Amino acid sequence: MRKLGRREWILLLFFLVTLVVTGLFAARAFRRATYWRAHRDETIRPWMSVGYVAHSYRVPPPMLYEAIGVEPTPHDRRPLREIAAQQNRPVDILISELQHAIIEFRKSHHPPGGPPPPNGGTSP
Amino acid sequence: MKLSDYLLGALGIYGLPLLFVALLVGSVGLPLPASFLLLAAGSFVAQDELSLWSVLGLASAGAILGDNIGYALGRWGGRRVFAWLGRLFGENSGFSKTENWLKRWEGSGIFFSRWLLTPLGPVVNVTSGLTRYSWPRFLFYCVTGEALWVSLYVLLGKVFSGQVQAMSEFFGDFTWVIVGLLIVFVLGWSLFKSFRSSSEASKT
Repeated sequence: MRKLGRREWILLLFFLVTLVVTGLFAARAFRRATYWRAHRDETIRPWMSVGYVAHSYRVPPPMLYEAIGVEPTPHDRRPLREIAAQQNRPVDILISELQHAIIEFRKSHHPPGGPPPPNGGTSP
Repeated sequence: MKLSDYLLGALGIYGLPLLFVALLVGSVGLPLPASFLLLAAGSFVAQDELSLWSVLGLASAGAILGDNIGYALGRWGGRRVFAWLGRLFGENSGFSKTENWLKRWEGSGIFFSRWLLTPLGPVVNVTSGLTRYSWPRFLFYCVTGEALWVSLYVLLGKVFSGQVQAMSEFFGDFTWVIVGLLIVFVLGWSLFKSFRSSSEASKT
């Protein structure tokens, strides 16, 4: 086996680094896909509107509005971040109130053994 | 507060004008979560908050306009730099070879960097301008590629309208895997060629 030139060493180095980084991204994509298949529920994030959360979790929007103490208005697309700012409190509290309301709703509307309750806002 | 959280929240408030501006600026080269915005816009369409055709039209228009700004920057701003580099390194240097290589792959490069290899888009815009790639052809690949990208992500967002966050994270990684595989292939190929040419040289 002949010796590698400087150009080939550099190429080989970039080749291996790209291979490793690509592998890491592929592993993370795979983990996300399997996690998503297992849980199905979206992590509630500050960009989401109440309507979106209701749509994603298939719960009636008025129930969520009530849980966070907001008067329901049609086409309210304000993100949770903004509602929290208007209520002068951290968005995390708003999110946990929504999660709690969804868990309660599912408990009363699904027989035991139905879909799992939402996760605690964690993502993979 | 993450930039994507901020922009997606703003999409809810400002709607289509924000989508247009974000896609324009993103196509020029600012690293904005454009695919994520398209997925979210698709979800808003599913919730009857935005109309499908205006989302498709304005998002494509923003992206195409941004691409052409990048092209113009390369063509009229960067050409002088390019010519100077070419003179500095000589006509037959690796630098002119790079330019030839770019010219050979540009058509498919423009098309695929619109919708599949999206992180490469802004670079391809500027290099297309630099190498004076025919503007009507550039525009053709831009329009077809961007229309495909916008429709793909908006419709995905519309169909999986409750899973925008999860899908965006998955497709974000997926896109980088495709880009990574392409680079691995190009580097692997040049390594292979380099080995072959030197072993042929040692035989003779």
